[in-house]
This record gives sequence, structure tokens and C-alpha cells, in this order.
Amino acid sequence: MSAEEINLDLNLDNKDVLAFVELLKKYELKNMGDLEQLYHIATNSCQSTESQKYVESYSRLRAFVEQSAPAYQAELSLVLYPILVQIYFKMISSESIEKARAFLKNNQSQLDGHHLTNLASLQHLFRPEDAAKSDYVSAMQTDKFGIRMCKDAYGLIMAHLQDPDQQLLADIAAKSLHFDVYEGMPRNKEQCLATSGSHIGEAKKQDNKKRVLFGVEKEPDLAAMLEEKNAAHMATTSAGGGNKRKSIKVSKSRKLEQDANVPPPGRIPLPALKDVDHLRQIQRLEDSGRQISLGRKQLPTALFYTIMNSNNGLTSAEISEDASMLACGLADGSVCIWSLTADKLLALKEAGELQRLHSAPEAMRACMLDESSGQKKRLLLGHKGPVYRVSFSPCQHLLVSCSEDCHIRLWSLQTWTCLVIYRGHVYPVWDVRFSPKGFYFVSCSYDKTARLWATNSHKSLRFFVGHLSDVDCVEFHPNTNYIATGSGDRTVRLWDVATAKSVRIMTGHKSSVMSLAFSNCGRFLASGSIDKNVIVWDVATGILVTTLVSHTHTVVALAFSRDNTMLATGGLGCRLALWDFKQIVLDYVSKMPNLCRDNNNIVGTKYLVNSYPSKETPFVTLRFSRQNLLLCVGYFKT
Amino acid sequence: MSGTTSKNGTNSAVSSMLYGSTFSAESIKVMAESIGVGSLSDDAAKELAEDVSCKIKKMVQDGWKCMLHAKRQKLSVKDIDTSLKVRNVEPQYGFVAKDFIPFRFASGGGRELHFTEDKEVDLSEITANSSVKIPLDLTLRTHWFVVEGIQPTVPENPPPLSKDSQFLDSVNPVIKLDQGLSKDAAGKPTTGKIHKLKNVETIHVKQLATHELSVEQQLYYKEITEACVGSDEPRRGEALQSLGSDPGLHEMLPRMCTFVAEGVKVNVVQNNLALLIYLMRMVRALLDNPSLYLEKYLHELIPSVMTCIVSKQLCMRPELDNHWALRDFASRLMAQICKTFNTLTNNLQTRVTRIFSKALQNDKTHLSSLYGSIAGLSELGGEVIKVFIVPRLKFISERIEPHLLGTSMSNTDKTAAGHIRAMLQKCCPPILKQMRNAPDIAEEYKNDFGFLGPSLCQAVIKVRNAPATSIVTVSSNTINTAPITSAAQTATTIGRVAIPCSQRQGSPVVTALPQIRAIQTSQPAQKFVIVTQNSPQQTQPKVVHRGSSPQTVVLSSANSTTASNSNSSGSSGAAASSSLLVGRNNDNSTLDPHSLIIETEIVRAPPEMDDLSHLE
Repeated sequence: MSAEEINLDLNLDNKDVLAFVELLKKYELKNMGDLEQLYHIATNSCQSTESQKYVESYSRLRAFVEQSAPAYQAELSLVLYPILVQIYFKMISSESIEKARAFLKNNQSQLDGHHLTNLASLQHLFRPEDAAKSDYVSAMQTDKFGIRMCKDAYGLIMAHLQDPDQQLLADIAAKSLHFDVYEGMPRNKEQCLATSGSHIGEAKKQDNKKRVLFGVEKEPDLAAMLEEKNAAHMATTSAGGGNKRKSIKVSKSRKLEQDANVPPPGRIPLPALKDVDHLRQIQRLEDSGRQISLGRKQLPTALFYTIMNSNNGLTSAEISEDASMLACGLADGSVCIWSLTADKLLALKEAGELQRLHSAPEAMRACMLDESSGQKKRLLLGHKGPVYRVSFSPCQHLLVSCSEDCHIRLWSLQTWTCLVIYRGHVYPVWDVRFSPKGFYFVSCSYDKTARLWATNSHKSLRFFVGHLSDVDCVEFHPNTNYIATGSGDRTVRLWDVATAKSVRIMTGHKSSVMSLAFSNCGRFLASGSIDKNVIVWDVATGILVTTLVSHTHTVVALAFSRDNTMLATGGLGCRLALWDFKQIVLDYVSKMPNLCRDNNNIVGTKYLVNSYPSKETPFVTLRFSRQNLLLCVGYFKT
Repeated sequence: MSGTTSKNGTNSAVSSMLYGSTFSAESIKVMAESIGVGSLSDDAAKELAEDVSCKIKKMVQDGWKCMLHAKRQKLSVKDIDTSLKVRNVEPQYGFVAKDFIPFRFASGGGRELHFTEDKEVDLSEITANSSVKIPLDLTLRTHWFVVEGIQPTVPENPPPLSKDSQFLDSVNPVIKLDQGLSKDAAGKPTTGKIHKLKNVETIHVKQLATHELSVEQQLYYKEITEACVGSDEPRRGEALQSLGSDPGLHEMLPRMCTFVAEGVKVNVVQNNLALLIYLMRMVRALLDNPSLYLEKYLHELIPSVMTCIVSKQLCMRPELDNHWALRDFASRLMAQICKTFNTLTNNLQTRVTRIFSKALQNDKTHLSSLYGSIAGLSELGGEVIKVFIVPRLKFISERIEPHLLGTSMSNTDKTAAGHIRAMLQKCCPPILKQMRNAPDIAEEYKNDFGFLGPSLCQAVIKVRNAPATSIVTVSSNTINTAPITSAAQTATTIGRVAIPCSQRQGSPVVTALPQIRAIQTSQPAQKFVIVTQNSPQQTQPKVVHRGSSPQTVVLSSANSTTASNSNSSGSSGAAASSSLLVGRNNDNSTLDPHSLIIETEIVRAPPEMDDLSHLE
């Protein structure tokens, strides 16, 4: 059989003829009688025409994008990547894997760099049924890919897809793309790039519509607190607590004039504060009176706690809010707690002894502790796998830890024992955080959920479901009404604790999000990622405020200074970066009135105040103390 | 991360580039064979290969997640175990590796194989070996990382200027012009000025070389230099240790180098062997410091080191003192400098070699200098010996022959000649062995190398017979301080033989307090008023009786005039250090406070006058 004959019979183009000749040689097809093989070849050619059509449509689309007006090019090119992936899926399901891969390889060079890792994971696919095994692939298959476009660009792409030749692509677009059309100027390349990168494309408009009450209750006045305390004290000593409630009510009425963004106080129910909590609050306010205000002219002082001899087994660290304790989670499952002050870590006396105590209420607390039990360092044993995160309760009496063994443990820092094991997650728990008011804590896991727990129940109170990959980090909003989660699907989400609904989806990271921190005003959220960037978000609108670029490795630690002027970031690159957060906010707010959603400055290297290298010591956690002293924790690499 | 996958066969090579690495059907077949499944069909193998590749990739991805959450950058066996556990698969117990296990490659019979080495372990050996170390307990260490935006230069922090940037700085000066924002503020103990400049974002004015040292740095300089040239050996050890290991010394480096250079200048003139040795040990420590890059200061260091190698006279009594050790030590230093800093552009080694070989050409060279040149050349390696020493052997023989055969009157020359002969016999035979063929005939050697011929012949024969391993390598990489230390000690001890302790107190030891004050008050911070003998209380020259010596030695401390001199002269460490060192000179006569230059012709004091006790 000659090449010409095939050409006539099957009406193929030259390329396929060549492929055919190759095939003939390969199968050593010498006579016409070998029908079976011929049939095989014929079916192959049928499929190849199908995939050939896709390839051609795609190249037409690409040509269209490349020839469009430069102003629209950036937005139009956003379409390429999801369509490329969908075509790949189609080709795989028609079992022409080799062709699908060749297609991917030929076309990946036009796409942005951050898509390449995803495309590489696509190549792990061998069969359509493998799809379920990858978070990314299932996300691409089930969810619509969000694309934001200005009206004109949308008109252009729609006109192109209405072309009968592009019917195949029009089907794909209808099925798996979601266009968010907005009025105004098209975005440029950088602007498009800033918010792209997640598994679901860009956040859709309706995802971020709900109002977020981001305000934080004002700190009570110290003088009023003291007055109240004295009043309460007087009342307890004279009339036995009868007037106490009244005085509290008075103080509540005093702070009624709050701004509208602060959620109503009872929105998240909390147990009544105890006397001890009042005392602690007063102490905190007194301490923050000594706060140093930071800025470019007054750079912070940083103290570094280096964990030695950890044998690279330090998986997490946390400094308590009052900077009195340091807790470290280790790879062997133990939690190690150090006292950072001169005080030793005391334990309560034995139960029998406690019963026998008779003392004045003020002195009671001191009497309950066993002075002889003081230690500088204590070990909490219980977890069976690496402890991925620990968190102190605001009262400093409880500690919660999460581990690879799927459990969350609540520890008492007075008896130094485990109080509760929270079972619920079925996969490793990556992160756990206590709420700023105590009582609640939230965890997130490999199982793609985050869960809310309380210290008075062993069952989880809320599930936060929606992420398409593991939830890698979680953080409580300072007003306890919201939590933020960062995920392997490269999005940051904000959830309402009361309803467990997602209220914000923020896209822009190009890799898993590993760390989160809310500014103390509650309006801004910073997230650090494996893509080495830190992004600051406006929680009120879900807008990306700025991307901070300077790190060379994963950012795992973030901290806002207490006066909201500085943002400190640190990571595995052994470098601490200080950013002028005050300036970031000023620039952002000054642009606010005429802010079209995406027209803000995207990449902010100009906000970098300074960066400091550490000696072979990756940063594990950062915290500003009440006096605005920056505390860093890292382990010395061995 | 793809350490778990392996590739064999050629047909998968192309595809692996396309899709990342995958198991090939052949690998699966080999594995099947290894567990006893002999006949696996191609289709089954292919199916399995794809499935296994996919699963392994997913597993490694999960392991990667665990690694990230453990805040590490290296995937470990534990991470893979965790990802197995997540999948409900029993982890592979017992596979613990501290380090990365490399794949080895073997081929033969047209087949290629990648494998990991799996050594057999002798259990009895492990059980017998009881000295298993208990791992150290977790400890917490605290240090100031940043103080008000400035990173202090403590050992816990990285050196402010890495060696690489010091290197770039000295090699490529353009870099300094466009130095970034981040670099200049780090570690420089300057005040708010720079920050202010940065704030208003004016043009970044390039700072001139910072001549200002903080008070702490001045104190450190003073302590270190005093300890290095003092007579307290343990303290010197600590000082040298500090010089050799502390980060953040680069700001003081110019002063340290000047100190050495000036010190050598003065002490060569005074023939103060001990001090020269101490200074060379300082050079050695600076060279050893991993965070310093000395290239910029070689113009000061090389002449000093060179002086210590080839100077005509380095000590009071050339016939007795072991100045040879100093020459050897300095030669090794020179070799190290050449090795570290020689580049195509500076031609360091060529220039050094030229100086040495010139001395070899000249027949008027003093024998000590001749020795130094030979020592210097011999440290530079076999090729240098071959090209520069061996052709001159005959000439050298002629020079030393008369001294060794007793025709010379001078005892000094005789010793020198002996040392030269010893040196040549040490360094030449290994080279001669390679240059000349086996039958070593004494006559031929005598013809070629003159007087030294027969003994060299003996040595060569000896080298030839010795096993290859025992051949002395000519250029030793490591510099051993032990002999030089002992040499310095002898030099020092000779100096203070007969001085009773009680009388030693008389020597002008200055209390620390006034000096600190002097440093703090001297306003332009670059001025070092480190005049050890210049305590304000001691305006009267002190008279010290030494041992049984009837002579009265008047140790004139550099009095107030000198001090004001060095203050007003405005020159930095150079003048100060020279006055410091000059002050140590104790002559038989009253020292003229203004004469900083000592005439060399003066007949040196007798040994017991070579006093170093004031250095305590």
C-alpha cells in the first residue's frame, strides 16, 4: 500500500500520512490481509482527528488572543490556561494519552510560569479515573474556573467563540468557565497576574458579596477598668458581690458608641469573664501603656530564641501573648514549654491539699500553687506524631496542640497534664489556634476542612467546608467572629464563625498558603506562602492590597506590631523582613475613593524597611510583645 | 524528590523528559522477578508501571506537605512514612537515614542498573561498641538579633559582611557604587544619619570608608593587640583564637594589618625575634578567620611576611636564636597567602617567586636571607623547587662550602650554612628523584651540584628506597604553630632569665582605667592612644634595677611630650602602634622620647637586657 492511497482513502493531511508511514514501518505491515492491524490503525486515526480538532481550535484561540489589541491581551490570555487543561482532560478521556501530553508540551510555553507546576501534576495522570486522586485535577474538573474580564474583552472572546469552527471550545467555556464581567478599563499583565494562580481561577464576585463586620471592640479604658475593679473589690468586701453586676453594666453602657463595623457583642456567645480574667486584662492594658511606637525612624528591637540540638525536629513554636512562655512542638510528638521570665513553671498542689486550703480570696491563687514544683522547662507527652502547631489560651492556663496522629489535645498548664483529646479529624491536623477571647479554638486539616471546637465540649461545633485541597493554616479574627484559612488550593478564605459560611475568597497566591495573621485593627489580613510572597488583603472588600516580595523561601511566620505600624515576616530562608505596614495602609486608603477593584499597586518592594539574616536558623514563629519587642523563634540547622 | 523513581531503558528516556520520571515496564518486570513472579505480561507491566508511578508521585507530594509543615526544606524518610500512614499503609519501619542516600550506577552486558548500597552490618560489632552517644538535650539560647533596627555583630548573628561580598568588594569595586539598600545599614554601628537619608529617599551618598570605630571596637583592638604581643601565653592564645574565629572583624581589619606591618618594621630594626613571631601568628590567625577576606590588605601583609623570611637579621644573636623557625613559619604563611589569593590579574605567586629567586641569583646575599629565600621557594611547591632551586644548587653549594668546611671565621655563617644544607636536603631529594633517573652516582651529583652533591645523592637514594607514602610532601597545607610557639617562648625566656619577680613590678604596667578614659576622650575616634607605658601618673622616669647587673637601666616611658605628639600628629593606628612598640625598646641609655627611629648599628644589649617582662 502506498502513501498516496491512504491519502485518498481517508482524506488525511500530510502530517498524518507521515505518521501512517511510520506506523506501517513499525508494525511491519507488508500485506493487506492483516485486517486486525489495519482496523487498529483506523480507529487510532479516528481519535486523532477528534483530538486534532481540539488542537486546531486551541491554536486558533491562541492566534486570536495574540492578534487582539494589546490592551485586552492580558485579560484575554487568562482564557488560555483553563481551556488548555479542559482539552487535556478531553483528550485523556478519549485515551490518546501520548497526544494529550504532546499537546500540553507544545502549548505550555505560552502560559505564565506559575501554571507550570500544575501542568506537571496533570502529567501524572495516566487514566481518567486517576483524576480523583489529585486535589488539583478534581478542582479543575468539578469547579468552574473564575475569570474576571472587562466588558469589552468579554465581548471579544464571546464573538470569537460564536464562530462555528470554535464550537468545541464554546462548549468547554460554557461548561467550565465562569466570567465575571465588570465595567471599566481592562487590566494590564501585572494586575492579572497578581490575582491569578489559584486552582479555581479568580474569586467570583458573588463569593465576596457578604458584609464582613471586621471591626474590633475598642479596648476598655484602663482608668475605667481600675475604677471598676476597685468598685467590685469594695462591693465584694463589703456587701459580698451584690453590686458587682451593676457596676459592670454601667461600664458597658459607657462604651456603646461603637462604629458600625464592630459585630454586636453577643454574636458569638462567650462564657462570662472571671475575676482572674479582669485582672489579666488590667495587667495587659498596663503593659501596653509602656508600648514603644514603631516606625521607620524607630525600628524594633528583636530578641531571638534559638532552639539548639533539635536535630531539625522542631515542627512548631509559639510564644504566649504575655511573652512569659515558649511552647515548642517537636517531631517526636512531645511538646516542650520553657519559661521565658524569671518565674518558674509551677504546678497546682495535690487535690487533697487544695481542699484543706483556707485563705483570703486574693491570696488564694498564690496558695494553690506548689512552690517546690517550679521548673524552667516542662515536657508534655501524649501525641504519637509530629506536633504541627500549638496555641496558648489567652488566660495562659491552657494549651492546645495538633498533630499528625489526627488528634487535638488540650493541656492544662497548671497541672501539666492532658485534659481532653479531641477526635474528629481523620487526617493529620495542620494547624490549631485559640480564639483571642479564649473558650473556642479552631483547627484545620489535611481532610480539607477546618473545624471549630470549644473547651467545654469534645465535639466540633462547626465545620468549614469548601476548600479544594488541604487547609494548611488557620487564624482567628481579633473579634472572634471570623476565621481565615489558607489552603493548598492557593486561596485564602474568610469564614463566619456563627454561620460557618464562607464570606470571602481571596486569590493571588501561586502556591500553598502556609501562614496567616490579622492586623490588630481587624481590617487587614496578611498571608505567607510557599511561593515566597506575602500578600496583604483588605478583609472588608476581599481586595488584594499589596504583594510583598523579598523572601527567597517559604514564609512561615508573620507578625503585626501591636501598634499596627510594622509587619514582620520570616521563613525558611533564614531572613527576617520588616515592612512598613503604616505606609501600606496609607497608600491603600488614599487610593480608596476612586479604587476600581484591581487598580492598585500590586508588588510592593518599596515597603521593605530592612531585612536581617539569621545564622543558619529558619524562623518558626514571630511575635511582638506587649511592649512591641519582636520575639523570634527558630531552630539551629544541623 | 524523584529519588524514588528510577529510569531504565532508552525508550523511556525521551518520554521521561516529557512527563517527568516514571517507572518503565522493564523496571516493573525486574521487580516482579525479584519477588518470584516470572512471567509478567507486557500489558500488565505497563499497567502496573503507570499505577505505581502515579501512586508514588502522590505519596511524595504528601511527604512534601509534611516536610513543609515540619518547617524543613529537606524531605526525610519520616515524611514518606507519614504519607504512607495517611494512606492507611503500614510505614516502612527501620528505614532511617541521617543523610541523603545516593543512587549508584552500574552497567554491564548491555544493562544498566541504579541501586542503593546496602551494606551488611555486623551485629556483634554494634553490641560490642558501647560508646553510643546520648543525643544532647534540647536547649534554648537567647540573643539580641536586632537592636533598634541594627543587627549587633555577636557570634550568634551572621557576619555583617559575608566573605563573598568582601571578596567581591575587593575584586570588583564597581559593586560598591550600586550597593543595595539592604546591605549598608546592616551591622554598622552608625547612628540615625543613614536612616534619615534613606527616609527622604535622597540620592544615596556612598559612604567613605568608615574610619570610626566604636568605643567597644577600640577596646577590643587594644585588648587584642596587647594580648597578641604581650607575654601572657594563654591570653595570647585566646586573642589569636578570637582573631581567627570571630565574625565581624572586617571593620578593624585595616588597623590590624597596619599594626602588623608597622610592628614588623620596628621590630626587624630592633631584632626582636619574639615580637616578630607574635606578629606572624597574628597574620596566621587573620588568614584563618573564615569570615575575613584579606585581599585588600595584602600590600601591607606581604612585605611584612616577606621581611620575616628574608631579612638579614631577625634576632639579637643570630648564632644562638632560632630565627630559622620564624623564617620557616613565615614561608608557610607566604605559601598560604599565595595559594589563597593568587589570581591571573595580581600574579601574586609570580611576583613573590621573583623576589625569592632574585636573592638566589645574587652572590652577595647574606646567608640568612639565602636561607629564607630557599625556604620561601620550597614552600611554594615542587614545580617551583624544580625551576628555581635545583638549577642554583651548584651556586648555593659554592656559597656555603667555605663556611661549612671551616674556612670561615664567623660562627654565625657556619650555622646559617648548616641550616641551608639541611633545608636543601629536605626539599630537593623528592624533586631530584623525579628529575633524574635511577642509578644515582655520587660523582654525577658532585659535578652537577657541587659541594652538596654527594649528600644530596645519599638523600635521593634514601627517598627512592623509601615507600611512596613516607615521602615528605614539600608544601604542607597545614601550618603547625607548635615549633614557632616554642621558638617564641625560648626567645621570650631568654629575654627574662634573671629577673626576680619582685623587681619586675617596677616595669611600667598601666592600669586599665586611665587608658579607657584616654580612648573615650580622644574625640576623632580613629586615634588610638594605646601607649602602654604612658600612664598619667608616671611622668617621672622610673629606675629599675635588674638582677645582679650593676647597670642602671632607665626606662623612659614615653612621657607626656610623646603622647601629645602622637595625638597631634593625627595619624591613626600606625603612629600609635609604632610608639607602642618603640616604647618597649629598652636600651642601656635613657631613651630619647622623640627619637622614634632607632639606629640599627647600635650594638645590641646583652641577652638579659632583652627584656620582655614589661609586656606582662
